[in-house]
Amino acid sequence: MAAVLEVKDLEVVYQGVIQALTSLSLTVPEGAIVTLLGANGAGKTTTLKAISGFLPLEDGRVTRGSITIGGQDLLKLAPHQIVRRGIFQVREGRHVFSEMTVEENLIAATFAQRAARSRKEAFDEVYNYFPILSQRRGQAAGYLSGGEQQMLAIGRALVADPEMILLDEPSLGLAPLIVKEIFEIIARINREKGVSMLLVEQNAVIALKYASYGYVIESGRTVLEGTTEKLSADQDIQKFYLGVEAHEAA
Amino acid sequence: MSPLQQFIEYSIVGIAAGGIYALIALGIILIFKSSRTFNFAMGEMMMLSAYFFYAAAVTFALGPFLGMIVALIGSIIVALVIERVAIRPMLGRPFIAVVMVTFGIGSIIRGIVGMIWGPNDLQIPAILSRSPIMLGEIFVPGKTARAFAIAVVIVVGLIAYLRYSRAGVALRAAAADAVTAYSMGIDVRRIISFTWILAAITGCISGVLMANVNTLTPHLGLVALNVLAVVILGGMNSLGGVLIAGFIIGWLEAITGLFLPTEFREITPYLLALIVLLVRPTGLFGTKEIERI
Repeated sequence: MAAVLEVKDLEVVYQGVIQALTSLSLTVPEGAIVTLLGANGAGKTTTLKAISGFLPLEDGRVTRGSITIGGQDLLKLAPHQIVRRGIFQVREGRHVFSEMTVEENLIAATFAQRAARSRKEAFDEVYNYFPILSQRRGQAAGYLSGGEQQMLAIGRALVADPEMILLDEPSLGLAPLIVKEIFEIIARINREKGVSMLLVEQNAVIALKYASYGYVIESGRTVLEGTTEKLSADQDIQKFYLGVEAHEAA
Repeated sequence: MSPLQQFIEYSIVGIAAGGIYALIALGIILIFKSSRTFNFAMGEMMMLSAYFFYAAAVTFALGPFLGMIVALIGSIIVALVIERVAIRPMLGRPFIAVVMVTFGIGSIIRGIVGMIWGPNDLQIPAILSRSPIMLGEIFVPGKTARAFAIAVVIVVGLIAYLRYSRAGVALRAAAADAVTAYSMGIDVRRIISFTWILAAITGCISGVLMANVNTLTPHLGLVALNVLAVVILGGMNSLGGVLIAGFIIGWLEAITGLFLPTEFREITPYLLALIVLLVRPTGLFGTKEIERI
């Protein structure tokens, strides 16, 4: 079954007055990694929240447009139903349950589990991708390093065995080496399990490297799209996204 | 009787009463954890449950066993109706607004009970044996001891269940971070309903126990005010803390009764709660969040 995610002409309003998205469209084909680039406040996180159905939890609403996966309307579903439909979001800032152990965090994710496999099989897969989590399984997640917390957040997604993972700023606050390690694993998950990914990243260099297709959004609308090769060669992208990056690194 | 013996006897009776406090407090804390709602109607829910028991067991002559089942079912239905009709629409509203709603619900329940059953004491069938338990020389009233045993078993059982079960993980996840819990496929609204069901069960059992140890009146729910002190002492987010805090408050009340005029019994729990709030606002066992950025 084709699990193409399609967002069409999306408009989102918070608290009845604040317009966060004006006309946003994007497509994530089955098995692809697609990235969403844009400045702070452009509406990247709002887009992911809209897909996962989190907006009503924050007094936000989709006022126009559609979100479908494999032709099924996601706007009618509650957040927990969307996860069980196979779209798992790894939220910005990781959001591990800090007082629960690593293993309990994974148990929490079993509520999203779709595949008929045992808990042990699911956890073994997580520990296979992230061996460090296996060593830490009895520890409170709050005591993990930032990188390990990000691994746990992605590990929870693996437990659910989703068709698609929405990744919101996975590199946030992490050292470059850790970022590279995590992205290598993300790419492996994509390759080996055929999980498609929608990636929101401040770090445009790394996003363009691992994704195959990208969208650039400004003030809540899609302004540019193309293969990441094409985007990397684009002068505006170089100036506004890659240039800024090089400047920051200096 | 020697003063020491008297002290020990009062202490045991006090701690025994504290077991029921812990049971009631558990219901309050579970709801608070899941939805940051402080349920001031807990005492009245508990009192209503005892009247359900009376109606089923005495009025409809079903006997204590069936009466308890009917009371449990009735209590759960009432709790779910309250949650669905009055609390869920208030989600996300200011804390104090929700608190006032639960206060209102408490008054409504008291009013309804007064209208149906009147203000007088009612005698419910004894489900607890009267025969006292002797610990050496120490005399423990039978009902109190048995009520204590039942309450502690249920509190410990519930805490263990929430500690080790998948449902417990879901509850803690929803309590810690609702949006993330949703993102794990946990239906947070169902978790909140679930805690209201658990609170109905602890309330029902404690109500029937209380009505057995004392008598059944529309004022039975007032005991929940003492439980407020238990909750503050134990810490709002500590399940294990309620048991210890319950014992402490129960003991303190009894001991105050031994040394000071009875009026002081009403005050000491609050004095202790006040001191705790000043010195250690998270309660004895409440945890601050551990977080690493």
